[in-house]
Amino acid sequence: MEYQKIAEKVVKKALNLGVDEAEAFIESNRNFYLLVRNGEVDTVKQSSTKGIGLTVYKDKKLGFSYTSDLTGDSLTEFTKRTIQLAEVADPKPWNMLPDYGKEEKQKDLDLWDPSIFEIENSQKIEIAQKVEKRALSYDKRITKSTGANFRDGQSETIIVNSKGISRSFKTTSVSYGVSVIAGEVDSMQSGRWSSSKRHFEELENIEDVAMEAGKRAVEKLGAKPVQTAKVPVVFDRYAAGSFWRGVLSAFSGDSVYKKTTFLTDSLDKPVASKLITITDNPTIPRHVGSTPFDGEGKITRENTLVADGVLKMFVYDSTTARKARVKINTMARRRGYRGTASAGTLNTIIRNGNVDPDKIIEGIKEGFYITGLRGSGTDTTTGTFSVGASGFWIKNGERAFPVDGVTLGGNTAEILKNIELMADDMDMRGSLSSPSFKVAELAVGGRR
Amino acid sequence: LKAYFKPIKRREFIKKSMTGGAVFATVPLWNLFSHSLPPPDIVSHPPIDLDKETLTKLLSVALQNRGEFAEVYVEYNISNSIGLDENKIRSASRGVDMGVGIRVLKGEKTGYAHTDDLIPEKLKETARVAGLIASGKTEMQPENLKERKNPNYYLVKTSPDSIIPQDKSKLLWKANSVLRAYDKRITQVRASFSDINKKIIIANTEGVYVTDDQTISRFTVRASAFENGKRSRGYAYKGGTLGYEHYDSLTAEELAKEAGRVAIVMLPAEDAPAGEYPIVLAKGDCGTFFHEAIGHSLEGDGARRKTTCFWDKKGEMIASKIVSLADNGTIPGKRGSINVDDEGTPSQKTVLIKNGLCTGFLYDNLNAKLMNTESTGNGRRESYQHYPIPRMTNTYLLAGKDDPEDIQRSVKNGIFIKNIGGGNVSPTTGRFVFSVPEGYLIEDGKITKPLKGIQLMGNGPDVLKNITMVGPDLEILGGGTCGKAGQGKPVSDGNPTLKVAKITIGGARIRRS
Repeated sequence: MEYQKIAEKVVKKALNLGVDEAEAFIESNRNFYLLVRNGEVDTVKQSSTKGIGLTVYKDKKLGFSYTSDLTGDSLTEFTKRTIQLAEVADPKPWNMLPDYGKEEKQKDLDLWDPSIFEIENSQKIEIAQKVEKRALSYDKRITKSTGANFRDGQSETIIVNSKGISRSFKTTSVSYGVSVIAGEVDSMQSGRWSSSKRHFEELENIEDVAMEAGKRAVEKLGAKPVQTAKVPVVFDRYAAGSFWRGVLSAFSGDSVYKKTTFLTDSLDKPVASKLITITDNPTIPRHVGSTPFDGEGKITRENTLVADGVLKMFVYDSTTARKARVKINTMARRRGYRGTASAGTLNTIIRNGNVDPDKIIEGIKEGFYITGLRGSGTDTTTGTFSVGASGFWIKNGERAFPVDGVTLGGNTAEILKNIELMADDMDMRGSLSSPSFKVAELAVGGRR
Repeated sequence: LKAYFKPIKRREFIKKSMTGGAVFATVPLWNLFSHSLPPPDIVSHPPIDLDKETLTKLLSVALQNRGEFAEVYVEYNISNSIGLDENKIRSASRGVDMGVGIRVLKGEKTGYAHTDDLIPEKLKETARVAGLIASGKTEMQPENLKERKNPNYYLVKTSPDSIIPQDKSKLLWKANSVLRAYDKRITQVRASFSDINKKIIIANTEGVYVTDDQTISRFTVRASAFENGKRSRGYAYKGGTLGYEHYDSLTAEELAKEAGRVAIVMLPAEDAPAGEYPIVLAKGDCGTFFHEAIGHSLEGDGARRKTTCFWDKKGEMIASKIVSLADNGTIPGKRGSINVDDEGTPSQKTVLIKNGLCTGFLYDNLNAKLMNTESTGNGRRESYQHYPIPRMTNTYLLAGKDDPEDIQRSVKNGIFIKNIGGGNVSPTTGRFVFSVPEGYLIEDGKITKPLKGIQLMGNGPDVLKNITMVGPDLEILGGGTCGKAGQGKPVSDGNPTLKVAKITIGGARIRRS
């Protein structure tokens, strides 16, 4: 626990230099990356990084800095400079460490798999070679590979502060994937797929990953725009992710406080179809989106944002919660030691519905099945939804032809209310999981 | 190396010593660069003495496994930022990143390892790991390192890192007060100043030894406005490879007024229509379009791997005759300007499209070598944690001859795009989407009403052929951070006024017609 001691020392040093409160956050990572292209090893990359981010509060003023130089003497200098930064800032009443209150004990979420350290390089190469070869052979129309990769890594996160919090956890990660191109010069389409887990034994099998990448490239071949129309649309479970990310940005507690989200006055009101329940749950064992404590060191738990269409909770970290005078949440996100924590969901789950995904397009005479979205989509201030999309045209309940180069337009608030079917096909892969779903009507823009 | 040995003014020295409690001392590594005082952290604890001898030793270790080429990249980077929000200086922050990345090449293979533990054993281990990619018979020795001097394209007299945060905060306060007084419908003001101060050393087995001292600064002002239940935003910035002498209270005032203007103008904006329309791109700040929709498809890695839509188009007409496109890292003071790229190759101007003809690609060393050509000085990396790949610098459409007023008048029913916001493109298909923070409807050649939610969609090759008018008024005003393969890199772009005869507009108001 060498890093934990460094963090404790820095916090103590800051207090000795006269700050009221201090928090040290250390993250160290070791990563391995391998890229195979056309069966040959193309790139091998190995890295080790670590660094400390220090937040100090003095007279309700905040100072933050980070460094990757953890040698003893330089940390004194670093601490002094951080305190100088606090002196420039204006005081704000909410500038202080979180209240931890009564918390559960830190859970072991089984995020560490030592078996990944036993994988020989030759085995990693073999996995990448196999998945590439299999994806290339998926269909005659697959013309080339843009590479297959294998990654593994380990990470340690430490948070220590002057309220007596001293917590750490370690994770491992392992993934592999492949990207192939289908078609010739003027009509190339790419398809990629990967599997990413905390435990080696949980990786999806090579056949499935390769097939999915191949399928995604081939099925887009010959895609074309369609005539502008208002039709029922289905968001595929994977394409749904970027739609929900746009929606979630409107749940920011800080934006509510600043009245810059279209959901500002919507607490305890229906904001979506009754089919919609959204939770944030970073406590699922072994899951890639799980973390035992959040970016401020608070023990994580499951939170419900939307229950049966009714908005139950906005997303707060301790600062924005204090500012808005609401009860503290446990949704502080932190992207490494280079920054302070900010409010954000950690592992969002859109509850599964009960419709068979194959039946969701049944009964659609003319419609659009979306498999890919381009651009962010939702303007959180106005709710305006506008995004590029690709997928399939639906005719008489069946997939008719691939579509690309169209736009979707509408209003996020209306789309949420117009969701009329939720499939039961949720696949938990990353930090946001959703089933496929159908919206009664949406404007699809293409040729006039 | 004149730029590195500028005498330090006494006033600056005092300022610097006050901020960091610095001790003036000679430091083996960083005095190479010191146009201002060495950073205080370094003064008290030089991380390591990476002189030419040490670098040569590391290069030898990296080649031990019979690689063909090895390179050491050393980086020390200080980033500062200070922001104002809700009438308060929200916080000032500072970051120090330092590390060494070592790369070994063997044919098309790359071995890369990096570390931020700069003790000799760790560095040696890093060099060894990078070298593991290679195996074979050829045995190479590093050539003697020869220092190469480069021209200077940075407009930096006073390093922003030498300015105490209190001084920077005064600019933010000025912008805040000007903007709040600008219009009573302005509800929120945010302003920030950030600077990146990067010092690099590049040494390779071909004898290249280059140092560079890179400064990038940026002053941003954002406004939110509210009226009758409608909200809007405005945004303005100034930035580039600029020293602190380029920013003063007048800059703050100009940026505040511009951000305020956009927010107020956009307040009554209506949802954009959707469908195919002709568009006029205003000069200066629409270059992102060419960077994203065209430039990425002309990068040498995609060309070599035949994964971009233009890989086999060199020497062919890929655009209308009035279209010429260039990438140029040598324009003084622009955000994408570099004296050398991150492989030590001097920066240059590369014409990518000349009068519609595809004339070349942007290359780093590896892709150039494999394509039997020379690097164009576009081998760039985000930091020591990344190996270099072909990247753009300042990318712009060259000036044409059409009168900007004629261009606008020629549009009966279309969209006027004042600037282009974020976007992304698939280099495989060339298909892109962009958002437009400020755009207007053109009716009978006249700009009529503001539109919100405009998304420009299409694919690069089609747009190039649909450019029908280009004005003479080229300006390079765009600037941001381009992301590719997980690496962010500062770039700039620009364009003259031009017309695209038809493009797909995605907007919230989609109607059949």
